Amino acid sequence: MPEYKGMAQPAKASAEDLKKLRLVPVPDEKKVEEAIRLLDEMRKKFRSFVLAMESCVKCGLCAENCHAYLGTRDPNNIPTNRAELIRKIYRRYFTLEGRWFGKLVGAEDLTLDTLEQWYSYFYQCTECRRCGSVCPFGIDTCEVTMIARQILYWLGMVPKLHVGGGFGIERVGNQSNIPKPGMVDTLEFLSEEIKEEFGVDVRFPVDEEADILYVPSSADYLLNPYTLMGAAMFFTYIGARWTIPSVMSEAGNFGLLFDQRHLMRHLFMRLHDAAANLGVKKIVWGECGHGWRAWKMYLPYFVDRPLRWEITHLHDEVAYYIRTNQLKLDPTKNAQPVTLHDPCNYVRACSPAGPYGHTENMRTIIRAVTVDFREMTPNREKNFCCGGGSAVLFDDPEMYQKRIQFSKTKADQIRATGVGKDGNGILCAPCSICKAQFYPMVEEHELGVEVKGLIDLVGKALVWK
Amino acid sequence: MASINVNGVEIEVDEDGFIQDPDKWNEEVAKYLAKTEGVEEMGEDHWKVVNYLRDYYLKFQIAPMIRKLCKETGFSLKYIYELFPSGPAKGACKIAGLPKPTGCV
Amino acid sequence: MSYFIVQILPYIALTIFGLGLLFRLGRWAAARLLGTSHEITLAPFPQTPWQAGWIFVREIALFRNIFFFEPTLWVGAWPMHIALFMVLGGHAVGFYFLGEQFVYIGMSPELSKFMSNLLGSVFGMVLLLGLIYLLVRRVSLGRVRQISNPSDYLHLVLLIAIVAVGDIMRYFPQYGMHYEEVYEYFKALILLQPVPEFVFHNVFFITHMLLVQILMIVFPFSKLVHLFGMFAMRWIENRVHTDPAPGLPNVDVAAARAKGTGLPSAGGAA
Repeated sequence: MPEYKGMAQPAKASAEDLKKLRLVPVPDEKKVEEAIRLLDEMRKKFRSFVLAMESCVKCGLCAENCHAYLGTRDPNNIPTNRAELIRKIYRRYFTLEGRWFGKLVGAEDLTLDTLEQWYSYFYQCTECRRCGSVCPFGIDTCEVTMIARQILYWLGMVPKLHVGGGFGIERVGNQSNIPKPGMVDTLEFLSEEIKEEFGVDVRFPVDEEADILYVPSSADYLLNPYTLMGAAMFFTYIGARWTIPSVMSEAGNFGLLFDQRHLMRHLFMRLHDAAANLGVKKIVWGECGHGWRAWKMYLPYFVDRPLRWEITHLHDEVAYYIRTNQLKLDPTKNAQPVTLHDPCNYVRACSPAGPYGHTENMRTIIRAVTVDFREMTPNREKNFCCGGGSAVLFDDPEMYQKRIQFSKTKADQIRATGVGKDGNGILCAPCSICKAQFYPMVEEHELGVEVKGLIDLVGKALVWK
Repeated sequence: MASINVNGVEIEVDEDGFIQDPDKWNEEVAKYLAKTEGVEEMGEDHWKVVNYLRDYYLKFQIAPMIRKLCKETGFSLKYIYELFPSGPAKGACKIAGLPKPTGCV
Repeated sequence: MSYFIVQILPYIALTIFGLGLLFRLGRWAAARLLGTSHEITLAPFPQTPWQAGWIFVREIALFRNIFFFEPTLWVGAWPMHIALFMVLGGHAVGFYFLGEQFVYIGMSPELSKFMSNLLGSVFGMVLLLGLIYLLVRRVSLGRVRQISNPSDYLHLVLLIAIVAVGDIMRYFPQYGMHYEEVYEYFKALILLQPVPEFVFHNVFFITHMLLVQILMIVFPFSKLVHLFGMFAMRWIENRVHTDPAPGLPNVDVAAARAKGTGLPSAGGAA
């Protein structure tokens, strides 16, 4: 499956898999007709999508600004061309010029092959929004990808990896499929690890009544111990009453990546209920890029009732306590050269401008907890994606090769900072998808750096006495 | 749905070769799956990792944190990669009969 | 044929242009803005309406993104667009005031006419060169060729033809038209009267008119509506959005540190 007529594709979820999410795949002979109907629905729903379809002038500025195109040099990975895969269909069925002048304006009939092409290329886009950010008009090609993935999901064409996350969300409230006992066991283990390494007593309260609800990324339970440890140490250090909810144990939200309405809302409602039941006063978010975007930018609309809690990101809180000089930190605890990878969703989808926005807060933190911090170029909202964004974390051989290509631009950026020259550098990538992408990619590109979160470094630098 | 045949027993696997029903797992199945993951001979250390993963999974329905796996088996991550070239999450878990990890992994 | 182009087609072209635009913009307006309308706001988020306004100015009037990310494109695109608006404005005021528009800012009528001619000549040439530059770029850069449809070239060719004919009339007075003549022509058109006889003798004028009217008819059904699209898009993308204040509830760091939370001697975690 990982290839269709020469196009790399992630392995698709089977009909049985989709059934578990209560979705019946559309049979092949009806797919085209149904896709056109769904596209029609989408264009009436999203004005920004209509504008993306109708006002691109094909200037080509996005091409050299897309890591996917830079890494693969595949013309269909030029952002506007990727959108053109839908645009040519859109023109053909929904515009006069497309209906009358077809070829001249680049309009085309929809076929099954085109749908397979969508499936291949819209899962090569990492929804990093760099093209939208550099577009002279601000056309959000990321949203085109989101809409394409939504339609494909409704047709029954969706990666197994994403659907797997979907099961977990519905079954236990996180994408990694971790039930509460597994979670508690891991947290107890980490408590011991903290005691052993840092000599402090730090507990991870789960489902307790508290002031603060902390939602870590579920991938932290499997791969990123120091991110969980760092957060717990921070909360303990400042004497906060905090807790981790077990029914909604996911900072991410794969719904954003393939089922924007139904599945995304499911997790939103779980969070809403968890916060209400535990009587918290504020919700603090862990290190997850796409998830933070989902919760920060999408949740208020989806919950559709006035929210009683403010939701902030852990980075914003830590930066606040650093700015107000309330934390005693020893940057020499992180003495290695370190560079910061700006997760796309923080810097291009979530951060306010100005010195107290998320983008600058990350720098406030990293400067306070490390000795030798080196910026990448370009950085902040001009930063390039890690190449795994929107969970393009497929391990099918063909897609894995693509991931290596997608991360090429990033690898060049990291190399240029020189942090890995002596093989002891730190690549701070405070987002679970970035981490999951970088763990293998720093090896593939031989970058000589270790991948860490930002809170990992805070935890290490805290001075307790 | 694909399937593999181990000593005459048909076992369903998904597209990536992960077995579907963890109860069907036994040592013969593990040896069979090991070959598909580039492990020719299951040594003592291989079994130590696989058995730990399996016990943990039966207890908690999830793979342990990689750090915990290293700590409990006493092996470094590097050594685990030497044992299982395709890594602890995909290689070792598959041989131990766990489902494929999902999410940001 | 000439009669059709200068006497009848203008009404048809204008009608199609007007209704076509209404149709197109109406479609945009009919598509909904879902949610809080902040889902796809681009970060860094402006914190005040003034900051949001500055992004509009920066991108729409100065093409800052193009300048920053592909200066070689900006060199052609920005002067071309500026010249285009100057030329359009020049047509309107030049013909209406018969070249004496600058009298209102204190010039003599002769100087005003001279300035009007000079500006027209300069911007007419900048516009032509800009368009040719863009066409050459589209043909010669592989990645831009890969994203181009036939219509993308045709739009440029049409614009170049219009401007080239216009420039010929401007640079070679023997082929041109006087301000007064154009004034009279449009007056007749507007008053729904027969147009003056002399327009039929100027083949360049008729060609210019024909091409412009083709453009007007094509405009609402082409990517050229980016003129409006960019405002509509930026209005969605660049919005004020502020964060809740940081600071955690019931947290007193100084007290916690004085108590030594987390330290083994304090008897465990808080």
